Amino acid sequence: MKGVKSNSMDHLAPIIKIFGIEFDLSAIIMVVITSVVVFILARLAVRNLSVENPGKLQNFMEWVVEFVSSIIGMATDYKRGRIYLGLGLALIMYIFVSNMLGLPFSIVTEQHGDALPTVFGQELIIKGVPPEHLAWAWWKSPTADMAMSMALALTVIGLSHIQGLRHNRKHYLKHYFQPWAFFFPINLIETIAKPLTLGLRLYGNIYAGEVMIGIILGMGWIGLPALLVWQGFSIFVGAIQAFVFTMLTMVYIGQASIHEEGH
Amino acid sequence: MIEKIVWSNFFVQLVAFLILFLLLQRYAFKPLFGIMEKRRQMVQEQMEGAQKNRTEADQYIEEQKQALQQARKDAFEIVEQAKTMGSRQADEIVKAAQSESTRLKETAIRDIEAEKNKAIAELKAQVSGLSVLIASKIIEKQVDEQSQKQLVDQYLSKVGNKS
Repeated sequence: MKGVKSNSMDHLAPIIKIFGIEFDLSAIIMVVITSVVVFILARLAVRNLSVENPGKLQNFMEWVVEFVSSIIGMATDYKRGRIYLGLGLALIMYIFVSNMLGLPFSIVTEQHGDALPTVFGQELIIKGVPPEHLAWAWWKSPTADMAMSMALALTVIGLSHIQGLRHNRKHYLKHYFQPWAFFFPINLIETIAKPLTLGLRLYGNIYAGEVMIGIILGMGWIGLPALLVWQGFSIFVGAIQAFVFTMLTMVYIGQASIHEEGH
Repeated sequence: MIEKIVWSNFFVQLVAFLILFLLLQRYAFKPLFGIMEKRRQMVQEQMEGAQKNRTEADQYIEEQKQALQQARKDAFEIVEQAKTMGSRQADEIVKAAQSESTRLKETAIRDIEAEKNKAIAELKAQVSGLSVLIASKIIEKQVDEQSQKQLVDQYLSKVGNKS
């Protein structure tokens, strides 16, 4: 089992230091790739837009739009929530593509010799305790990184607070003291917990999926059926997490900024 | 765990997602939403058109029904008119025939009467002549022919009036 661990689980992130700031190269590469894939997909879908005779990709894209519309409809009032349709679409597409990208393969470079490999003349640095066998993973889901998942979560949670203050100030501020004033600390904890759970749920699911794939790969040929099953399950989990993230985004924005009568 | 986090990733993701979102919104979602809205309007227009067509069709059917009813009524009236006109004409013809026959009959009666009177007058003349002749033969010389004739005439006119 020790071999399995060193082969698959302890891949390092290729980090370089520029002007004293650490940059995770794999993360930057994967973010760019994911964004480009999403953007090309969206552009292909709207390349030959037609009212009466939509192409296959346009149909698919319109289905996604309908799907996100139904999410908004479920989470909050659709009429007032429809301005977030673009955000929901971007989120669900970006997270879904992110989750899928890490599944099919990985790119790993290993250390040869004693010197650490360099990129742009900068040495790759190792955080924490270095393992015996040095290997760097260049290909992973952007959402399998805690900081990056949290970035998405904080973005939408921040948006919900901003929109709450802008469009629904009275009810938004009042809700911190509901049902009574001394509930304020509890409401504060809830406010802090929201982005944490939102980001960590996504990160945990996707990261665990990739770790699991690594472990199964370490099992060799015996693990092939398990790998197939787990890959399939990871696709399912990736889709569900994209849906859940978008859904919760709409729920939080709806709660904060859209005051429903009799609610 | 915490010490392994690369904090720059947070901002990389933030900036990348914002850029992606803006690009998508501008170059993909806006045209797509526009097309979907256009389709929604088109469907609505078509449905309204269908509704209008249906109302029009219903109206036409109603109009056709009324026209048919009118035509039936007209036809019935024409037939009725023809019937009454026919019977009136028949009546007229019968009446004309009747009056014609009456006229013919009356003419015939008048002719017969005239013939009869002529025949009677002729007979009277002949009978008076004959009786004079007979009487002159029988009572020759007793009475002169003039007074005899006067006597017979007197007598015969009495007979004629009685007959």
